Amino acid sequence: MTDAPITRSERRQQKRLKRFDNPWMNPKLIWGAGLLLGIIALGLIGRVLWDPELVFTGSATLKLPPVGFENLRKQPGVWSNPLGTDGGGRDMLALIIIGAPNTLFVGLLASLIGMSIGIFLGFSAGFVGGRTDDTIRVLADVMITIPPLLILVVFQSAFGDVTLTMMALLIAGFVWQSPTRLIRAQVLSMKQSGYVQMAQLSGASTSHIMFREMMPNLVPYLFGSFIASVTTSIVTAVGLEVLGLGPQRIPTLGRTIYEAINAGALIQNLWWWWGIPTLLLATMFIGLLLINLGLDEVSNPRLRKLS
Amino acid sequence: MTDKPVLTLRDLSIEFPTPKGVVKAVKHLNLTIQKGRRVGFIGESGSGKTTTALAVMQMLAEPGRVASGTIDLSGTDVLALSEEEIRKARLSRIAYIPQGAMNSLNPVMRIEPQLWDGIIAHEGNMDRAELKRRSDEALTSVGLPAHTGTLYPHELSGGMKQRVCIALGIILNPDLIIADEPTSALDVVTQRQVMQTLNDIQAQIGSGLILIGHDMGLMAQSVDELAVLKDGELVEHGTVKQIIEAPKHPYTQDLISSVPLVGGESFLNPERNAQAPKRASNEPLLRFENVRKDYGPVTALHPMSFALQGDTPQIISIVGQSGSGKSTMGSIMLGFNPPSQGRVLFEGQDVATMSAAQSLEFRKNVQAVFQDPYSCFNPFYRVNHALKFPFKQFGLAQSEAHTQKAMEAACDAVGLDPDLVLSRYPHQLSGGQRQRLIVARALMLSPKLLIADEPVSMVDASLRATILSNIYDLKDKYGISILYITHDLATAYHVSDYVMVLYKGHVVEAGPPKEVIGQPQHPYTQLLIDSIPWPDLNRAWGGGRDDWDPASLEAEAERAGAVYRGDVAGFELAQV
Repeated sequence: MTDAPITRSERRQQKRLKRFDNPWMNPKLIWGAGLLLGIIALGLIGRVLWDPELVFTGSATLKLPPVGFENLRKQPGVWSNPLGTDGGGRDMLALIIIGAPNTLFVGLLASLIGMSIGIFLGFSAGFVGGRTDDTIRVLADVMITIPPLLILVVFQSAFGDVTLTMMALLIAGFVWQSPTRLIRAQVLSMKQSGYVQMAQLSGASTSHIMFREMMPNLVPYLFGSFIASVTTSIVTAVGLEVLGLGPQRIPTLGRTIYEAINAGALIQNLWWWWGIPTLLLATMFIGLLLINLGLDEVSNPRLRKLS
Repeated sequence: MTDKPVLTLRDLSIEFPTPKGVVKAVKHLNLTIQKGRRVGFIGESGSGKTTTALAVMQMLAEPGRVASGTIDLSGTDVLALSEEEIRKARLSRIAYIPQGAMNSLNPVMRIEPQLWDGIIAHEGNMDRAELKRRSDEALTSVGLPAHTGTLYPHELSGGMKQRVCIALGIILNPDLIIADEPTSALDVVTQRQVMQTLNDIQAQIGSGLILIGHDMGLMAQSVDELAVLKDGELVEHGTVKQIIEAPKHPYTQDLISSVPLVGGESFLNPERNAQAPKRASNEPLLRFENVRKDYGPVTALHPMSFALQGDTPQIISIVGQSGSGKSTMGSIMLGFNPPSQGRVLFEGQDVATMSAAQSLEFRKNVQAVFQDPYSCFNPFYRVNHALKFPFKQFGLAQSEAHTQKAMEAACDAVGLDPDLVLSRYPHQLSGGQRQRLIVARALMLSPKLLIADEPVSMVDASLRATILSNIYDLKDKYGISILYITHDLATAYHVSDYVMVLYKGHVVEAGPPKEVIGQPQHPYTQLLIDSIPWPDLNRAWGGGRDDWDPASLEAEAERAGAVYRGDVAGFELAQV
């Protein structure tokens, strides 16, 4: 570009810019994915290195603090329960090893189902138009105004004990609306675009236009929407669990918090009981948020900053 | 000219740091604009003309910056001004008239308060009656009735909105007006009105004017001096007379010669040797039977019947302003838009009731080139997808190697290097390259009929002639009949065998181009031809008449009946 030799700072800047050329390598995305993978890894490696049975057996001393702390009864933490125990003598480490992946699983499954419904309905509405479009649009709009927690509380109380999958299915019924609307809007605008007209001129079938011409361009939106609905699903799931309405026998982060509140952990200063699951949930949400921001940069190059 | 110059640019360089390194948008520009002079900045998109104008107002988009040089606005160093000082200088000393007047007005405010905003911001609050007096004065000075001020932007036409923007610009009598392609979104008739308004008002307040544009004809008709920019460099600067009559730089010569003239020398080299592909049926290739199209209560196209025989390849031009129904005709022919009444027959077969197999055959035989080359490629795929896919879809491909060979041959035919373009992504190619690829695509499929809907209106002027001759070659060398839809009478004059002029959904004049465009008889055709800005100083806009009144001419056009100027073999238009 210039004849003058480049200085060290300029070279460093060029290097930084080069790294920037690949939008998928942006730090937000890497950090976000790292945090989530960390939680999954905790679940997988934990099952191997730690005894997951400790979740069920209340064999340890009750209400032990994490190592390095003392509880109100002046009992110090012990290495056999490094993160302490809860009011029933269950090991906290084992609880999060089993519970955290469970919470994530509900979120992922629910939004996977929700997204599939959303993609199907969104494409149908955008493509078919007319009555179908009106029905789907009105349905989605009505569903958006209904607070999901309210309905789910009623459902879950009626069902009594549910499995994780069942809960994911119920939540999925409330996360399909926004992807539906988003995809419908994108399909409508893409239908007018030159390349779809060109494909029509090329004698392309409707399914070719949908899945080969439109879908690839929707990918960034789908990813973003997926992550957003994972967040919503986890919030809903945890909300239900904290109310004591989730699965009764399967440990999840929300259920642990529910039990802690129920047993008066806040008054007794048993901070590790509710604090550790809350911390993990916070990590999960920060991870999801970072992924979402990272994906935004991928799909919207204008957000990429120079410095 | 004893006054100080309004604007002096000395050694001005502007750069944009980007991930790929620093882009120099403007390089060492030296220019002086005297009081009362009109200076045109002409160049292709990306040549730095708008960037220069924005730098004068210190409104460069981030991360752009002035790298060197000075900007002197009648004695003030603009670059040394503080944020607050430059805010005061904007509008009161430099006014900017933006490109898209459609989007420059606040849609939820009436016009008047938008004009008052500027006054209040610079001169403080004042009496409402005084504000009203000044906004009315500004509106009347741009030829709008004073009551326009009480309307909302959506109640105005495009030309009126552009004039409101001019009124906004001149309300504080600035030293310098910068008009950035003020007429690019308007059709020729409105363009001429708006440019006259702008020139009148500029002469009245005696300010300097920078007119940014890419149309040599418009420049020739409206400015005193011309600055030709290319890749951020000032390649030529002089009076319009000097530049039009004796351009020195090859780029300027290109710019001038790329504007096609009615009656001028043709930019095509006709060599008629191709025969239309042999056809099985005797039915005309395309027939319109009383086709009519309504959009709600508006009739976009009044019943029209014609038959294109297609035994000898021909180019039929459909000419009209925006809203004349010409693009509607195009989409009806392609079967994208069903007619409200009547039938469209392709080789005797109704397009609306075709079976799947017939429909595929129809698609193979009727292809199109659209206006916007930027959106015609799926950004997800490399550009060869657009060529490869239809080729396979229509069963023309024998093998992968055969497809590749056909693509390369088609690229060569339109003057593109296949190794360079085929494996690129669309955003890596220029508009001109993309449009040529679309022509290459049509060529590969060898359809019987090609519908070209404004194929060059979004391409840089210097490339238009090349692309049109590519399309013309389709007819000459490959025997494809073409329907050319355009608003540009000059190109229609050269390429077509038959011209139809459309006005509000009616054919008003039709016949061979030498008659229809060469010696127009219908008042509407005359109006259109008068409104074309010629890059020729001796041919003043519309014959130099001052009493030019498009409203009365349009009223006359409404009353006049259609004029038919003779037939060509192979195309029959039913006379209504």
